[in-house]
Amino acid sequence: MKKVKSAFGLLTATALLATMVGCGGSAGDDSSATSSPAGTEKLKKISIFQSKVEIAEPLEALVKKYKEETGNEVEVWGAAGDAYSTQLQAKLTANEGPTIFSVGTGAEAEKFKSYYYDLSNEPYVKNIAPNMALKIDGKVVGVPYGVEGFGLVYNKSLVDPKDVTNLESFTKTLEKLKAEGKNGLSLSQEAYFLIGHIINTPFALQPDPQAFIEKLNKGEVKMADTKEFQEFAKFMEAIKANTKNPMEVKYDTQMGDFATGKTAMVHQGNWSYSMLKDYGDLGFEIGMMPLPLAGNNKLAVGVASNWVINGKASADEIKAASAFLNWLFTSETGKNAIVKEFKFIPAMVNIEAADLDPLSKAVHEATKSGQTIPWANNYFPQGIIVNDLAPAAQEFFLKKDMTGEQFLQKLDAAWAKAAK
Amino acid sequence: MNSRKDIGWYLLFTMPLLFIFTTVVLIPFIIGIGYSFVSWDGIPANPKTFVGFDNYVELFKDKRFLQSAWHTVQFTLLALIIVNVSGLLLALLVTAGLRVSNAARTMFFLPNLIGGLILGYIWQFIFTDIFKFIGEKTGLEHIFFNWLLDPKFALYAMVIVFTWQMAGYTMIIYIAGIQGIPDDLIEAAKVDGANLRQRLTKIVFPLLMPSFTVCLFLTLSGAFKIFDVNLSLTKGGPNNATEMFAMNIYNEIFAYSHYGLGQAKAIIFFLIVAILTLTQVAITKKREVQM
Repeated sequence: MKKVKSAFGLLTATALLATMVGCGGSAGDDSSATSSPAGTEKLKKISIFQSKVEIAEPLEALVKKYKEETGNEVEVWGAAGDAYSTQLQAKLTANEGPTIFSVGTGAEAEKFKSYYYDLSNEPYVKNIAPNMALKIDGKVVGVPYGVEGFGLVYNKSLVDPKDVTNLESFTKTLEKLKAEGKNGLSLSQEAYFLIGHIINTPFALQPDPQAFIEKLNKGEVKMADTKEFQEFAKFMEAIKANTKNPMEVKYDTQMGDFATGKTAMVHQGNWSYSMLKDYGDLGFEIGMMPLPLAGNNKLAVGVASNWVINGKASADEIKAASAFLNWLFTSETGKNAIVKEFKFIPAMVNIEAADLDPLSKAVHEATKSGQTIPWANNYFPQGIIVNDLAPAAQEFFLKKDMTGEQFLQKLDAAWAKAAK
Repeated sequence: MNSRKDIGWYLLFTMPLLFIFTTVVLIPFIIGIGYSFVSWDGIPANPKTFVGFDNYVELFKDKRFLQSAWHTVQFTLLALIIVNVSGLLLALLVTAGLRVSNAARTMFFLPNLIGGLILGYIWQFIFTDIFKFIGEKTGLEHIFFNWLLDPKFALYAMVIVFTWQMAGYTMIIYIAGIQGIPDDLIEAAKVDGANLRQRLTKIVFPLLMPSFTVCLFLTLSGAFKIFDVNLSLTKGGPNNATEMFAMNIYNEIFAYSHYGLGQAKAIIFFLIVAILTLTQVAITKKREVQM
């Protein structure tokens, strides 16, 4: 018995040692493979981490083409969606950050600013459309993915934009659709689609949105005392009274119901076309119009994400990363991918927009004619939409007797807490 | 000679574990205590300022943190009772000598093999879509509605999912305990005319005490530290009504970027879990009986 035991012990110990040695061996292999320069012109292998789930697959394909054309390797670390910022932070803090990553304009860009490599002297940044480059302390540090816009995406066979021009007509349209058994307008339960985007409008309509946000942070103004927000509250009341509870709607059901004609309008952006595309021929035309808050007739257009290079990476990696961005924004393959595969509305002057879907077209036209309001929500305190505004909005939609006025007070309270 | 060989074996087996434990638990824990005294946003390039016990003072003023503590207590109590009662009942059921007991045992244990995240998403679908569907079809809309939208019922929903996950696991431990009880003891009691209730309370339960200790410990610490089901099922909503301790700490650190404060919360969290579980083990250990 004793012998069996010790033999077994020896076996386990050997197995254990074998695994340890195995691990060590493979780790060693890895590092030697990456550090050995195989070709003459070969650049160091770099990694990309970015937030947009929609372009995850095309980006992987593009990286393969990049390798075919130039022989250089780029590794794509998947897309994280909602948890992107958290994961990025964890990776950067652990000194295992990607070489190229994406950041949102505004508070998120501010948060990671100690990591950016100064792109001011790189050739491709000269092609960025005016006022679209991500700048920190006067230096260009990020290249925009593209411009995006949101507003009311509507079914042209159910809604006429002429009937949605102010609070009164908006409410009437919702009531009429409700009477016809259609859902007039759909928000969905995700924080940005529930409140984050729609609350942008009253902010963007302020004479100076950024100054207004600062005042709000300091507690010098209140949403409840501001005219545009009071009207916003009435819009939200109309939505609550006449449409399906957004807390029961997810992004995919929201777009699904819209695609099948059960919902007449959704508050969404041009990105949502990728969801509609899956339904094939919808059988009706779609368009995008502004949320007519306080007579607003402009779409909200801005830059959601920017490519930045990790300045903490080694000089070789930075060089390789810059070469990749240069290829992405100047080569035919790269430019093509941005427009045709990523379906971005380009924010570069050297890239022509081609074959835009109806929603992107609306955004592109608004951009060209200047009929846009900014994305003020980029300048909200970091994380406030998900952590503070969304719970307040959930309460508003779940409590039947909560009025728009009480909702504004909740939002003010949530803001005061978050801005601390 | 023999004892020296033993020490060799002892070291061989304990050293790797000790090494891993030190590097991934002990050292980070100590560093974590250090972080709880600074104010920092988690970006290495930004300064860490020493604030002493300010973080600890602050967290007791944090209403949302205290609320999450209360949710956790409610959840843990409910989960502790329901998980163990159902685990024990399942164990008694499958050891009663039914023909299907082996298949049943496997089936009851299966949910435990699915990760909490996936379970959460599956049940999210059940609570939002299937419950609503049943409610509409049967007219029992006051029972079958979307539980995840009601602050109270969302908490119950979490208890259900946690029970679904853990009951099978505790069942296995109880089965081992029940099978450890000699048959002759039970038979003797039967011969003496003891009924089922008497057999259970006088013989089975006292002899099951070691299993109770283990199961209560596992469910208590598991329920207190719950995060995966919380994240996937409710994300803490609606309106933060199901935000548990671990999730509150996660949000403080990653959503608000208050590393110091979040770390201070984590230390308090550790102390509470440690005190609770140690007390529980001490109490139930005392009641264990030897045959």
